[in-house]
Amino acid sequence: MNYRANVIGFRVHGIKQNRARLLFFMLSLLTLNFSFLTAVGAEAPKRIISLSPSTTEILFAAGLGDNIAGVTTFCDYPEEAKLKDKIGGMSNPSLEAVVSLKPDIVIVTTDGNPEEFERRLRSIGIKTYIFRARTIPELAGGIRDMGEALDEKERFDALAAEIEAGIDKIKSERKTRKEKVLFIIWPEPLVVAGPRTEIDDAINMLGAQNIAGTAVTEYPKYSLEEIIRQSPDIIFIGAGKGMDSVSGGLLNRLSNLKAVKEKKVFFVSDHLYRLGPRVIKGLEELEMHLNK
Amino acid sequence: MKLKLVLITFISAAVFLFALFIGPEPMSPFNMSGIEKEIIFSIRLPRVLVSLFMGMALGASGAVLQGILRNPLADPYILGISSGAALTAAFGIITGLSLFGIFTVPLLAFIGAVIAGIFVGAMGWKRGGFWPERLLLAGVGLGFLFSSLLMLILSISSDAKLKRAALWMFGDLSLADWSIIPFGFIFIAAGIAVSLSKAKALNALMLGDDLAHSLGFSPKRERFILFISVGLMTAASVSLGGMVGFIGLLIPHTGRFIAGSDSRALIPVSALGGGMLLCIADLIGKSVLSPVELPAGIITAVLGAPYFLYLLRRRDVLGA
Repeated sequence: MNYRANVIGFRVHGIKQNRARLLFFMLSLLTLNFSFLTAVGAEAPKRIISLSPSTTEILFAAGLGDNIAGVTTFCDYPEEAKLKDKIGGMSNPSLEAVVSLKPDIVIVTTDGNPEEFERRLRSIGIKTYIFRARTIPELAGGIRDMGEALDEKERFDALAAEIEAGIDKIKSERKTRKEKVLFIIWPEPLVVAGPRTEIDDAINMLGAQNIAGTAVTEYPKYSLEEIIRQSPDIIFIGAGKGMDSVSGGLLNRLSNLKAVKEKKVFFVSDHLYRLGPRVIKGLEELEMHLNK
Repeated sequence: MKLKLVLITFISAAVFLFALFIGPEPMSPFNMSGIEKEIIFSIRLPRVLVSLFMGMALGASGAVLQGILRNPLADPYILGISSGAALTAAFGIITGLSLFGIFTVPLLAFIGAVIAGIFVGAMGWKRGGFWPERLLLAGVGLGFLFSSLLMLILSISSDAKLKRAALWMFGDLSLADWSIIPFGFIFIAAGIAVSLSKAKALNALMLGDDLAHSLGFSPKRERFILFISVGLMTAASVSLGGMVGFIGLLIPHTGRFIAGSDSRALIPVSALGGGMLLCIADLIGKSVLSPVELPAGIITAVLGAPYFLYLLRRRDVLGA
């Protein structure tokens, strides 16, 4: 299983590297041109606090990593994010920690951060930006909007364009499929990816069908019975420490399922867990398994 | 006794200042930078005040309730008031209602608490007065109903909001804000004042209704007034910062150990004790894993329960 995961990682990495090199070159040209302008004209925020892992990833991907003054304890990607000052969790960030880092702007999401917190920040005179994208199709637009708010249009537009290109490529290769998919987040208790999640978006974009897509909540605790009744053609299991051993019990109980018998159970990375630049890699990964 | 009271007031004031300037990052009150002033005045001061008021309300309510219900297990939450507040507040958090801006959740909690209080009061009312056992049982029954409705709401809500609601329920003071403090203060100050002015009547009620009557108090009337004042205090405290366990039940017992069971001393001692404990608990909650904040309700129980059990072994705190 691990071997397979490595192969995927390698493949994706290879494609990305070429594109990234080209992009880096273009970006450096741009920054050369604009560095003069920004020095004189509008001032982009220098100290940014990001209140969610997804916006942290976006900021790093847009090249603003050095301007990040604080992140949540959940922000663990890329590696550099772990070194940033922490301001608490997503649903319980510490007001005091945020204020003491003297941010120019705090980036809040509508997905996971308490609304009162954003109001409270504004009431004590701290500028906020609310990142409103909630789905993969909204991601590029959200990134452009963030770029405007941060006065870093070029960098964010470039990142948005890269994401759009990735999505377009996947759409152009899209086939009509009839596979029923189940994405397991955690086996015991059995939690799966339901509607309004990036994973559900991805499955739909690839033309497949998420059997938990009609559940009531985003990450429902799912019933074994329902899985057997729906009989998914493919089961994905999200990444986590020792996930293959944790999932053993569940897969044993599902051993009569078609997907398990035909070995259509795949352990995949956590690229789709956050609405950030990595969703493209996540999409490509699911697509590869679906095409097998 | 006077001396003890003065001493406890001084200790409370010291704890208050300590909580204000120490955690999570210590600051010197004499040499503050602009950002530190901002943190003290717009973040820490309202938060410490909220924890002080909440703790005082819960401690005093517990002392009064154990008297009027003549039951050592009575606490402000046993009457179902807090479950009512939790239900409406969780409903507000999960549906994302924001009719009244930052006042929405506190207001909903207050309304839920008052409605629950009225329900319990109506159930416990018979022949022109409250009956302690009926009040208790009505509170427990209603509490179960509200908690299961709450679980129902929580089991079908999204993860982020679920976590938010859970944090609120454990007593979350992290967003304490100046705007809500005056309202909470009015109810809590009035509640404590009424309870204190009725302290003698409460002493008489603890002896039994017949004796209270022969001492010249109308048990039904006194119990009614005290119930209303406790209900409003509890409602205000829950709406300020959610549910904080332990204080209402065990602070009055600890208070009895220090000040005896005369309500005239017990009520102020329980109030100050509750306020102090919650201030310290919140200070610890926001400092140990800083910047991740632990709900104060967890810390109060972890700190207070072992001390209480120790007292229970050493001396019969339940005895008069």
